[in-house]
Amino acid sequence: MARLPVSPEALVAQYGPRLGFPPKEGFPGRDEPDRVVPTHCCFCGMQCGIKLLVKDNRVVGFDPWEEFPFNEGRLCPKGVQRYLQNNHPDRLLSPLERVEGVGFRPVAWDAALDRTASEIRRIQEKHGKDAFAMLSGVSLTNEKSYLVGKFARLAIGTRNLDYNGRLCMVSAGAGNKKAFGLDRASNTYADLAKAEVILVAGANVSETFPTLTHWIWQARDNGAKLIVVDPRMTPLARTADLHLPVRPGRDSALFGAILKQLVDRDQLDRDFIANHTSGFEEAVEAVKGYDLAWAEEVTGIPRRKIEAAAEWWGTAKTSFLLHARGIEHHTKGVENVVSAINLVLATGRIGKPYCGYGTITGQGNGQGGREHGHKCDQLPGNRDIENPKHREWVAGVWGVPEPEIPGKGLSAYEIVEAIHRGEIKGLLSICFNPLVSLPNASFVREALEKLEYFAAIDFFLSETARHADVVLAGSLHEEEEGTVTTAEGRVTRVRAAIDPPADAWRDTDVLLDLARRLGKGELFDFSAPAPLAGTREGSLFTARRIFDELRAASKGGTADYFGITYEKIEANLGVFWPCPSLDHPGTPRLWEDRRFATPDGRAHFNAVRYRDPGEVTDPDYPVILTTGRVVSQYLSGTQTRRIGKLVEQYPEPLLEIHPALAKSLGITDRDLVRVETRRGAAEFPAQLVTTIREDTVFIPYHWPGRKSANQLTSGNLDPVSKIPEFKVSACRLVPTGRKAPSAAEAKAHASV
Amino acid sequence: MTTTAYRSQEEFFLDPQRCIGCHACEMACAECETNGQLAMIHVDYVDRAVSPQTSVQVCMHCEEPTCARVCPADAIAKDELGVVHSANAARCIACSNCVLACPFGVPKKVEPMKLMMKCNLCYDRTSAGRRPMCATVCPSGALWYGTRERMAAMRPNSTPVNEFRFGLQRVKTRVNVMMPKGSTELVVDGTEAP
Amino acid sequence: MLSTLNLRALGWALLASALLAASVVAGSRNLQNFDGALAAYLFATLFAAFGIVYRYAVWLQRPPTRLYWRAGWRLLFSRRFPAYLAELARRLVDELALQRFIWKRSPKRGLAHVLLAWGCLSAFAITIPLVFGWVHFTLKSGTIDVYEAHLLGFHAFDFPLGGFVALNLFHALNWSSVLVLLGVFGFLRRRITDAGQISTQTFEMDLMPLVLLVLISVTGLGLTWDYELMQGRAHAFMAISHAITVILFLLWLPFGKFFHVFQRPAQLGVALYQREGEAGAQAVCPHTGEAFASRLHVEDLKQVTSELGYDYRLTGGGSHLDLSPQGKRAALAKAHLAARSESGAFFG
Repeated sequence: MARLPVSPEALVAQYGPRLGFPPKEGFPGRDEPDRVVPTHCCFCGMQCGIKLLVKDNRVVGFDPWEEFPFNEGRLCPKGVQRYLQNNHPDRLLSPLERVEGVGFRPVAWDAALDRTASEIRRIQEKHGKDAFAMLSGVSLTNEKSYLVGKFARLAIGTRNLDYNGRLCMVSAGAGNKKAFGLDRASNTYADLAKAEVILVAGANVSETFPTLTHWIWQARDNGAKLIVVDPRMTPLARTADLHLPVRPGRDSALFGAILKQLVDRDQLDRDFIANHTSGFEEAVEAVKGYDLAWAEEVTGIPRRKIEAAAEWWGTAKTSFLLHARGIEHHTKGVENVVSAINLVLATGRIGKPYCGYGTITGQGNGQGGREHGHKCDQLPGNRDIENPKHREWVAGVWGVPEPEIPGKGLSAYEIVEAIHRGEIKGLLSICFNPLVSLPNASFVREALEKLEYFAAIDFFLSETARHADVVLAGSLHEEEEGTVTTAEGRVTRVRAAIDPPADAWRDTDVLLDLARRLGKGELFDFSAPAPLAGTREGSLFTARRIFDELRAASKGGTADYFGITYEKIEANLGVFWPCPSLDHPGTPRLWEDRRFATPDGRAHFNAVRYRDPGEVTDPDYPVILTTGRVVSQYLSGTQTRRIGKLVEQYPEPLLEIHPALAKSLGITDRDLVRVETRRGAAEFPAQLVTTIREDTVFIPYHWPGRKSANQLTSGNLDPVSKIPEFKVSACRLVPTGRKAPSAAEAKAHASV
Repeated sequence: MTTTAYRSQEEFFLDPQRCIGCHACEMACAECETNGQLAMIHVDYVDRAVSPQTSVQVCMHCEEPTCARVCPADAIAKDELGVVHSANAARCIACSNCVLACPFGVPKKVEPMKLMMKCNLCYDRTSAGRRPMCATVCPSGALWYGTRERMAAMRPNSTPVNEFRFGLQRVKTRVNVMMPKGSTELVVDGTEAP
Repeated sequence: MLSTLNLRALGWALLASALLAASVVAGSRNLQNFDGALAAYLFATLFAAFGIVYRYAVWLQRPPTRLYWRAGWRLLFSRRFPAYLAELARRLVDELALQRFIWKRSPKRGLAHVLLAWGCLSAFAITIPLVFGWVHFTLKSGTIDVYEAHLLGFHAFDFPLGGFVALNLFHALNWSSVLVLLGVFGFLRRRITDAGQISTQTFEMDLMPLVLLVLISVTGLGLTWDYELMQGRAHAFMAISHAITVILFLLWLPFGKFFHVFQRPAQLGVALYQREGEAGAQAVCPHTGEAFASRLHVEDLKQVTSELGYDYRLTGGGSHLDLSPQGKRAALAKAHLAARSESGAFFG
């Protein structure tokens, strides 16, 4: 019974999203804060250092943290405004309970937690252990990610736990494991500085990782050539030495064609290939027909540009390849990734200064969160949940018999499908807003409505949490101690600047309490003793105890954190894993010893034969739709759609369309255009720009309800990583004949 | 004014082609204590229909500030450090002369307040020896504040230029624009078809 | 000194001081009603008048100021006289009396300023006629408890001693002082706590005026305190210290912060100018394609900048000033892009 209790408009009126602005003269006390807390931004995998100013248990402002080595004070607009998620009128201040016809009413923690525990047991007794699922997210700290993994497996006892990293970079993770046996960017961004060629594929760095721009520009100051692969001319691509405007869904064709060029011109590192890799011949065999004419035909990129890219890549002495969601959000996500890695391996430019490769992890703790066991197929230390040895190790650390750890569960979108099928009846979610972020939003909504019991831990009433029976008021990033791991693999410290307000609890305390009520308290003995409980000191105590167990659990795994301690992180402003022992300095650059983490110790080429995306255009749906992000919003927007100035910067999703395509359909600027796919339809104002391919339209996805781009995207998944294909859909465009209302009237941030 | 901690060897450098249009500077500028949550810096698309290029503009702090000279109320002052300040709130009569005459398009009139406001080089920060907000947070180096020596080391193939020609008028500024090596001035003399 | 003396302004200032002195003589019936004890105040006021007119005259000679001065008067007495007079009256109330624009800067600031401004203005409205001998009081002959008020030597009205009118009349300056003090404390609080203010304020322009007003108000209130509660034992001290602070204030009036009181009405002239501009043709930016100001204003500014020695004409015709602020910023960005593109490198 998780239909909305009242109209969504009524819920918006009470719980937002409303726009938060700072008072004109700043929050009181900003000039004389009680504390200046060096911590990190909560948005995106760069995890920029930032200082929060605290007065009377409120975050009242920020200051750049110029000593932190990655960003040296630099921030993006989200970072500058991050402090405004605090003091927000929409903040949930106590647990809520759904009341039919009324909405939500505050409820005591005891009642909320008891009800949740008893519903979990009731559903599991009736429908089986796995009928209760949990969804999590990687904006959580490492400690919380680890705790969620253990909680779902041992306290709930379900195998069906997955996380929103499934919508992020799992195909990169899977590709990296295939090629290197380990899932982490191989280098820190310092290795960009003197790379001769930088290839950025499917990464709108200037909007999604603005602070990474510094490192790329620095490399260009040093003479680097920049190649950008993107169907749109992004701000990064504007001044690039070479912009390859790839047709969405054709990345592996491009990389395959470049590999063939390298082979044809013999621009290969034969020694490296022979001594440190395997699978080269098969990989070459797979691309033997991919000549330039074929590549131009498939990718839509002029052949001279492909040739130039291959030439530059082939002749460089140092290089860095970066990619992000643009090549990962595909039914061929893993294939795209390994075909890019093939280029790195063929030239042997890895494990050396200024020779780098990496995916740019998107979410706040996208890196650390995906290592410690809240993926459906994974245990801490990036261990495999189906590997008996790995299970044995973790069972030992957890102090349970190995069979008590459930097996591999369903992935995020598959959980939604299982709810539809009636196999999953109950759900606990934290840090995940699938109604906005998963593809095929209507399908997701129907699933939520079918649940017998849904509890959500959240600090704002997200679009998804509106469907909950009980909402457990949790904590913001700046309210808990812990660690996060940045996109570079740098483990850093996140600090509790303040306590959660009113009757909100720290997420960790919610999970620990729930574990006790589920009768598993002895396995979750992390709580601080009475005088510290509920305080910042208590949060530090608990976080440390969880981290210590995480260290032990990760020991010997590929993501080995055993040698990392809070003291070490603080003293060095971060430690790069793997760090297997206390005297180990950490590993900023991987593979310097040429010993890869694969079973045979070699890096693996993977043979990739190009295949079409899951949905191709046809006469009914003749235009390619691709989705993405804007700089002022973060993920599903639960936080950033509530921050006034961020909303004003880009207030509503626009349909980017090339004037040539627009003209053929009679569309002009600000015309309201109906975009239809096989999943649904939605209307967006047209923005005519020559900076996009003529056969492609683009919509950013951060908005809910009728403004959600994910009403249109498909549930086609990558067979290996189960990542959905956000980047390619076939659509048709129908002009409505009306001009779009102004953004102020549209109120897209709170669309229903 | 507390100017004791002002680091006079540090300068402002602008490099518009590095700008990625993220608006971090604008958000940060509004946090500056002298600005009352209004941004003084300008970030605009130059022509979004054809390019994501953005213009980014702080006050250039001219040696002979046109804004101050055209002010009928003597409200705009340049101090001994060369910083051209926001209009004196007691004097400004909100006539917009400065807004229309500034060759860089910098001053903003805040109509309900009957007040012109503009970038004052983050006086609250620079006078305390800190870097301006915008130049501290800028993620792309389009805005940078520091010594000339460090800039030369970071971008050896560019030259800081602080002389401009707008048509027939030469303007010398305190803030530099990074130009191709060897440049001596930036000429703005295009006539645009309406 | 002499070389920087502005003869025209000097002329106006002398004329103004002479007229004022003459009006004092006439208004006090050949100084018959003039209170000799207030002579120091009178001379200070005459000096202030001289200084204010001198500075004002110099100010009006600056090209941008002259533009608005002339346009303001010309427009007022144009064929739109009724409309502009109404506009002027509306703004007089809205902007000068209620000072609504300052409330928009911040409500606390608005309140403080209104209290301070009206405290000061009311105090001047009371003291100046007294100092000039234009108003004086006498005991009504044949009574011991009824006063007569005289205006410019003419009998104005009677009022009983100890009555409501007397109480307020004799304490009016105290009420002014209280208003001023409340306003000053509002401003001082801001100047002491607001980090932005702290970083940009100066002692002589921002703090000293407030301190001076506190001293004037406190010594003024001290006179009453002495009279009511100390049986006049400290009268000499109070009178002298009050006189010194007020005279300092008057002497400083033309030079310091308070000169803005005389500049502010220029806002009304600007308002008429802007209304005239709105009614006429608009300047359209060649870059944005949008109207951004009145043609009148843009053309006048070309003239003003040229008088000031600037030449923003473009070599290919037209003027840089034809661009809107956004257009100017875009022009710079484009020129920079062209220079970078030509050099073949955006970076380095």
